[in-house]
Amino acid sequence: MEQELEQQTEEKVLDRPRPAIEMATTRAEQEPKDLPIVFSVRDLSVYYGDFRAVSNVEMPIRRNEITALIGPSGCGKSTVIRCFNRMNDLIENARVEGRVEYHGVDLYSDGVDPVEVRRRVGMVFQKPNPFPKSIYDNISFGPKIGKYKGNMDDLVEESLRKAALWEEVKDKLDESGMALSGGQQQRLCIARAIATSPDVLLMDEPCSSLDPIATLRIEELMLELKSEYSIIIVTHNMQQAARVSDRTAFFNVRLSDEGQRTGYLVEFSPTEELFTSPREKDTEDYITGRFG
Amino acid sequence: MSGSGIERGVVLVATSVDVTAVVRQSLSGKRRDPRGSLFAWALLIALLLSLLALAVLLWDVIADSLSVWVERTFGNFLTSQLSANPEVAGIWQAFYGSLLLMIFVIIFAVPTGIASAIYLEEYAVNNRFSRMVNAVIRNLAGVPSIVYGILGLTIFVKFMGSITGPEVEGRSLIAGGLTLAVLVLPIVIITTAEALRAVPNSIREGAIGVGATRFQTVRHHVLPVAAPGIFTGTILSLARAFGEAAPLLLVGGITTFFQAGADSSFLDVLQGRFSAMPVLVFSWARLPQEGFRALTAALIVVMLVVLFLINFTAVYLRNRYEKNV
Amino acid sequence: MTNAQDINLHFHQELETLEQTVLGVADRAEQMVQMAVEAVTTGNQELAQQVIGLDDDIDRTYFSVHNNWVQLMARFQPLGSDLRKMSVLLHLNNTFERMGDQCVNIAKITNFNAGLPRVERIAGQIQEMGDLVRPMIRAAIEAYLRQDLDEARLLPAMDQPVDRLNANMYKEIVAVGGDPQQLEWATKMLMASRALERLGDQAVDFAEQTVYLITGERAEFNETGLDGSTDDGSS
Repeated sequence: MEQELEQQTEEKVLDRPRPAIEMATTRAEQEPKDLPIVFSVRDLSVYYGDFRAVSNVEMPIRRNEITALIGPSGCGKSTVIRCFNRMNDLIENARVEGRVEYHGVDLYSDGVDPVEVRRRVGMVFQKPNPFPKSIYDNISFGPKIGKYKGNMDDLVEESLRKAALWEEVKDKLDESGMALSGGQQQRLCIARAIATSPDVLLMDEPCSSLDPIATLRIEELMLELKSEYSIIIVTHNMQQAARVSDRTAFFNVRLSDEGQRTGYLVEFSPTEELFTSPREKDTEDYITGRFG
Repeated sequence: MSGSGIERGVVLVATSVDVTAVVRQSLSGKRRDPRGSLFAWALLIALLLSLLALAVLLWDVIADSLSVWVERTFGNFLTSQLSANPEVAGIWQAFYGSLLLMIFVIIFAVPTGIASAIYLEEYAVNNRFSRMVNAVIRNLAGVPSIVYGILGLTIFVKFMGSITGPEVEGRSLIAGGLTLAVLVLPIVIITTAEALRAVPNSIREGAIGVGATRFQTVRHHVLPVAAPGIFTGTILSLARAFGEAAPLLLVGGITTFFQAGADSSFLDVLQGRFSAMPVLVFSWARLPQEGFRALTAALIVVMLVVLFLINFTAVYLRNRYEKNV
Repeated sequence: MTNAQDINLHFHQELETLEQTVLGVADRAEQMVQMAVEAVTTGNQELAQQVIGLDDDIDRTYFSVHNNWVQLMARFQPLGSDLRKMSVLLHLNNTFERMGDQCVNIAKITNFNAGLPRVERIAGQIQEMGDLVRPMIRAAIEAYLRQDLDEARLLPAMDQPVDRLNANMYKEIVAVGGDPQQLEWATKMLMASRALERLGDQAVDFAEQTVYLITGERAEFNETGLDGSTDDGSS
C-alpha cells in the first residue's frame, strides 16, 4: 500500500509539466556580436600647435552601444571625443590629422559643414550649461535654427520625456532653465541635445559635478537612450564605465622623446573583458590601482 | 604594583580634567591686534578726508548758486538764452547743444564701438595682431581729451570743414559731436568687450553644440546676456562725453551763443556754431561781472544733477537686469 | 612605466590577508589528510578526534572569510585581476571547507571500524591514496603561490592514479572473502576511498581556479563519464 502510494506520488511529480528554467547565459553570449559601425576613427592624432595631445587612435564606434573612454588625466580622452563633433575647431591652434568617419564620411574633409555635423552629433558637457532662457526655449533653440517645421510643443515635450524630465517641469516650461537643480539641469541639457534628432550623443564627463543620486539617474537614462542613440561617454570613474558601457577604450599618457606628454589608445575591448581580464598590462595596472 | 596602578589612574583622571581647562584657556581671551586696528582707522580717516573734500566742493558750489535758485527759479535758468547780461542769462543753448552732442555720440560711437568689440571678442583670431589692437585701444582710452580736440580740429574742422560747417570754417556742432564720438569710442569698445568677456564660455559651447553658427550664437545667446553690461557701459561713456570741455574748446565751442537764429533749419543748427555746458562753464568763469559767479555755480549744479541722473540710471538698470538673469 | 606605486594599497593589503587566510585552510587540510589517513588505517581514535576538532576551526574560518569577502567587495569594488582573485578566493573558501569535511568523513570511519580487524592490503591502498593526494594539495598551493601555469596544469595527471585506486577498491573488497568482520571493515573503508578521490578532485579544482586567476579563462580539467569512468577509460 505504502509502496503504491509512493509510486503514485512519484509519477505525479514526473507528470507535471517541466518549468521553463533557462540556463543562464552571460550577457556576452546573449547579445549579437557586432552592431553596425557609426564612427570609424583611423589614425587620429590631434595637435595643439606643436604639441601632440593624442596620437594614432584607431577605433570603431558601434550603433546603439555605449562606448566609454577612460584613462588618467592628460591622456587625451576629452580631446578625442571633441573630434567627433568638430568642437576642437573652436580651439585656435588645434589641428586634426587622420580620419574621423561618420557613416563613411570623413568629418574633416573639405566640404563638410561643422554646423551640420553638430546637429547630428549632439553633446553634453561636464558642467551643466543650460541657456539662461526658459526651459522651453532651451529645447526649442536647436530645432528652430535647424528650420524645424513640425509642432514645436510636441518636440519639446518628447525631448523632455526622453530625458526623464517631463514630469518634473511640465508645469513650468517658461521658468528659467537655470533655476533647476544640478541633476535636472544636466537632464535638460540632454533633452536639448536630443531635440535636434541626432543619432549620436557625446557626453564629456556628464556626471562629474553631480551628486550620486543624480549620477545614477543619468546612468539609468543613458541605458534607456541606448536603444535610440549611439552614445560615447568620457568618464574618469571606472565603476561608471563598468556600469553603463558596452565597450571601453583605455587611454594612457606617455612621455615622448621631446618631453611631451602624449595620449594614446592602449586597449579597446568589450567592457566585461576589459574590467575582468584586460589584454594589456597597462590596463590591468590602471584598473587595479597599481599605477604610478 | 597596585599602588602604581592607583597613581596612574589618578594621573589619567587628572589629565582628562586638565585637557578641558587647557583648551578653554587657549581658546578664550580677546585678540589684541594693535597694528590691525591702527590700519583700519587709517583707512577710515582716508575715506573721511576724501568725502570731506567732495563735501566741501559741493557745499561751495551749492552755496554760490543759491541766489540763482532763489531769484530766478530753475526753469527760468534752464530756458533763458545766453546773454552777456548776467541778470537774464540762461543756459538754454548750452543745454540744447549738450543734448545734440550726446545724440551724435549715441549715433556714431555706440554702434561702431559695440560692433568693433563684438568683432574683437567673438570673431577675431587671437594672435599677436589682435592682441596689439586691444592694447592700442586701451591706450587710446587713456589719451588726454585735449589730444582728441586737436584730432578733431585737424580732421573734422580743417580737413572736412566744407561738409561739417561750410559757413563757420568747420567749427560746427557736427565737428564737435564727431570729436566727442571718437573720444568716447575706445571706452565703448572696452566696456562692451568686458561685458562680452563676462559671458561664460559654457553658453557659447552649448549653443555651438546644438549646431548654431557663430552669428546665431552671438545674436541669440551672447548679446542678450551681455546686454546689461553693454548698456551700462554705453551710458557711462555718455556721462564721460557730457563732461568734456577741452576737445570742444578746440573744435569751436568757445562761443557763448548759438549762431543760428530762431528761423534756421536743423541742418543750419548742426552746421553752425554751438555751445555746450562744460564749455559754457569755461566761458562764464572768465567773465568779469560779479553776477556770473552765481550763474557759473548754478550751471555746475545743473551739470552735477545731470551726471548724477545718468549714473543713477546706469546703476539702476544694471541692477534690474542682474536680478532678472 | 617603471615607477609603479600602488595607489590601491589598503585594498591590496587586505586582499593579501584574506588570501593568506584561505590558503592557510588548504595547508591545514593537507595536514588533516595525513592525520585522518593514519587514524583510519591504524584505528587511532584519538587522532581521529583531533581531526574533527581541526575541522571546527575550518568551519569558523569559513564564515569569517566569507564575511570579510563581502566587506571588501562593498568597500572597494575591485576590478581586473583583483576581481578575479576575489572570485577565486570565494570559490576556494568553499572548496577547502569541503576538503575539511572530507577529512572528517575519513576520520569518522575510524570510530565505525573500532574493534574490527583490518585488511592489510586495503589499509595499504588507502595509505597510498593519502600519499598521492597530499602532494597534489601541496602542488596546487605552490602553483597558486608562484602563479605557475605549468605547475597548475600538472594536477589532472596527478589525479589519475588516485581515481584508478578508487576504482579498484571494489575488487579489493570482493577479494576479502568470507570473514564477515573483515568484510564490514573493508566495506566501510570504501567511504574513505571515495573521500580521498573527492579530495583529489578538489585539488584539481583548486588548480583550475589558479589557471582562471592567471589567464582569465575557464578550463575544465576533470572529465567524468556518466558511469563514473575517468579519462583513462578504467571504471
